[in-house]
Amino acid sequence: MTHTPPSEHDIHAYVDGHLDSPHRSEVERYLARHPERADEVQGWRQDAQQLRTLLAGDLAPAPAFDPALVRARAGRRRIVRLAMAASLLFCLAVGGMAGWAARGMGPGAMKPMADAMQAYRLLALDHGVGMDITTANEGDLRSWLAGRVGSSVRLPDLADAGFRPIGGRLFATDQGPAAMVLYDDGSGHTVSFYVRPPGVARHLLPRGTREDSGLLADYWSQGGHNYAVVAVADEAGRAAAQRMTARTI
Amino acid sequence: MSDPKIDEALRSMLPRLRRFALWLARDEHAADDLVQSTIERALSKWHARRDDESLRAWLFSILYRLFLDGKRRSGRYARLLSMLGREEPTWPSAERVAVAHSTLAAFASLPVEQRSLLIWITVEGMSYQEVADILEVPIGTVMSRLSRARRALRRLGEGVPETPALRLLK
Repeated sequence: MTHTPPSEHDIHAYVDGHLDSPHRSEVERYLARHPERADEVQGWRQDAQQLRTLLAGDLAPAPAFDPALVRARAGRRRIVRLAMAASLLFCLAVGGMAGWAARGMGPGAMKPMADAMQAYRLLALDHGVGMDITTANEGDLRSWLAGRVGSSVRLPDLADAGFRPIGGRLFATDQGPAAMVLYDDGSGHTVSFYVRPPGVARHLLPRGTREDSGLLADYWSQGGHNYAVVAVADEAGRAAAQRMTARTI
Repeated sequence: MSDPKIDEALRSMLPRLRRFALWLARDEHAADDLVQSTIERALSKWHARRDDESLRAWLFSILYRLFLDGKRRSGRYARLLSMLGREEPTWPSAERVAVAHSTLAAFASLPVEQRSLLIWITVEGMSYQEVADILEVPIGTVMSRLSRARRALRRLGEGVPETPALRLLK
């Protein structure tokens, strides 16, 4: 007969039926000598038995969670997530490309040399009111231009076409200082000669012509500057602009 | 193991998982969510499972952890709400589950870990070692916690009169 009480492990194993028969009889002998402990252990056995019986009713099939279904649902979700990731990437790419394409574009810079046309509208239609320099002397105008925009800028000579310079005006643009020299033929026709740096983005222009709200502009790039010749888009303006462009390039 | 074999193995565990989830969460919808998440996680982590590990113990461990995580989150949420001066949402009470028996009533009111211990050991018949692995404690700790759980169930079960067969509809 042993006097050491069974371990906690053995008591639980007895309740749960995990003991082999020699150990079981040992625990039973101990419990026989300790009725109080025996009552408790008996209660535990009853509770365990009851729990097993009562909870057996909760074992119901759960077809909604069939692994094949869950697997399919997870697969669909993965596709949706992939699609979302792909569309996000697509949006980023489109936005990025649009942003790159739109670089350097700002109000007024959307079309080539739109600033030259604005400058013409500002001054030429008022026939030279608000000039910075008012002189017909080409030498003065040339040095004025050289000091402000660049010494490489050549001023066209249109005297044989009947156009003479009447003055110049400086503009501040996003691309740097711009200068406009206005020519007049004495009968109300004006042509402007506009020059500015290409800007930080070095946005040089292919040679081109465009018309916008009654004005026409010939534009090109040369020697690190952007040029525009602007006139009213009529017969005389067209002819004058053409001549000026031909003289300059 | 091929996919259909994995599915079959998991399928055979579904009723047990659902029963465990039901007694953990004490709420049908929460239990269903738990089972669903458990199956999802089991499918995605199948390759990480040790071959010698019992599938049942592994799944119970996943479900138990998911439940504790969810409870922690809802606990934080409740604290946040009470900080904002709102009513603390009550955890689904035992009354929502059918309580037809004093032992069941007592069982439903035990703390989460004691409920889990009793389901794993007395109802599912899992080994003490498996339970120790799930809870990540030494086997001796499992024994003492099991004693506490059994005493608590006894005390509560005896305190509740046997007669009122309170069965609220789910």
